[in-house]
Amino acid sequence: MSLVELDELDRRILDLLGEDARLSNRSIARRLGLVEGTIRARIKRLQQRRLLRFTAITDNRQHGRPTLAFIGIRNDTRLTRELAATIAGIEEVRSVIITLGRFNLLAVGLFPTLESLIELANNRILVLPGVTQVETSVVVKSIKYNERMAKIGFGADAAPPLDGEGEDEDEDEEDQSDD
Amino acid sequence: MVSDGASYQFDEIDRAIVALLKENGRITNRDIARKLNITRATVGTRIARMTSTGALRIVAATDFAAYGYDVLLAIGVEVHGRPAEEVARELARLPEVFAVHLVTGARELEILVAAHDFAELSNGVIDGIAGIPGIRSIDVGIAADIVKYQFDVGISR
Repeated sequence: MSLVELDELDRRILDLLGEDARLSNRSIARRLGLVEGTIRARIKRLQQRRLLRFTAITDNRQHGRPTLAFIGIRNDTRLTRELAATIAGIEEVRSVIITLGRFNLLAVGLFPTLESLIELANNRILVLPGVTQVETSVVVKSIKYNERMAKIGFGADAAPPLDGEGEDEDEDEEDQSDD
Repeated sequence: MVSDGASYQFDEIDRAIVALLKENGRITNRDIARKLNITRATVGTRIARMTSTGALRIVAATDFAAYGYDVLLAIGVEVHGRPAEEVARELARLPEVFAVHLVTGARELEILVAAHDFAELSNGVIDGIAGIPGIRSIDVGIAADIVKYQFDVGISR
């Protein structure tokens, strides 16, 4: 599938950032015994290759404690791509995965109420042409979720960055967190 | 009210800071201060407060491909004869299992699994899962393509 070449330095940088995403380039450089410019260039390259993304995760309680739910969809397989795109366009839907096996599509979403989940499943997904079955499953408790593992790059080629492109072009030498 | 977790609620300034951090988790405090026309010290204090209460986490997320995870599975787990949460905690110990949720519906658990290749999957991961007492059956979905993946809203823990 994808052939991604990361060298030892890339991995060491990722490991340090995994512990503290706001660690300054200068501190990383100091710890690895390298110059800051090298670190900055490596991080930039990892971001450009869509292998690394810095973001902020807010607790769901800051969003009114929405319900997390899995929606498994069975459909006419000829329409899977089209349906995936339609469902990905729904705001509450956070991720859409085309699957082989138990479903054709698996969507994961955050819903303000249980009613809004059922409304979406029955009135907006089940009615789509080609959809034959929709199964919902509500998360009652999350035991583990490692959000450091994610899908960042989309599409086969290096598409332009999704977010904040060019943002760090003139990144100054200052520590991210100032000290 | 307990003050752990995130019972602390963001105000207008917090939200503005968070919006900038979501766009770029490594934006400097100075740039945030400049953009929002507040002092650097305020930015620092606000970020420290939000992160210390657990309401905000600033992360360096890596693509599955960065560590060579080419195989992703969404597995429904049916539990029998044992509390589902116990099974969930055992599953959570497996490094390849990166998400474990207790759910309503036909199955008790939904888990997400990442593996480097199918050989690793059949040799280690599936055996690891099958070896946990209380699992009656698993229903496997292989991710053929990820069309959308947003992960900026965290789950209470």
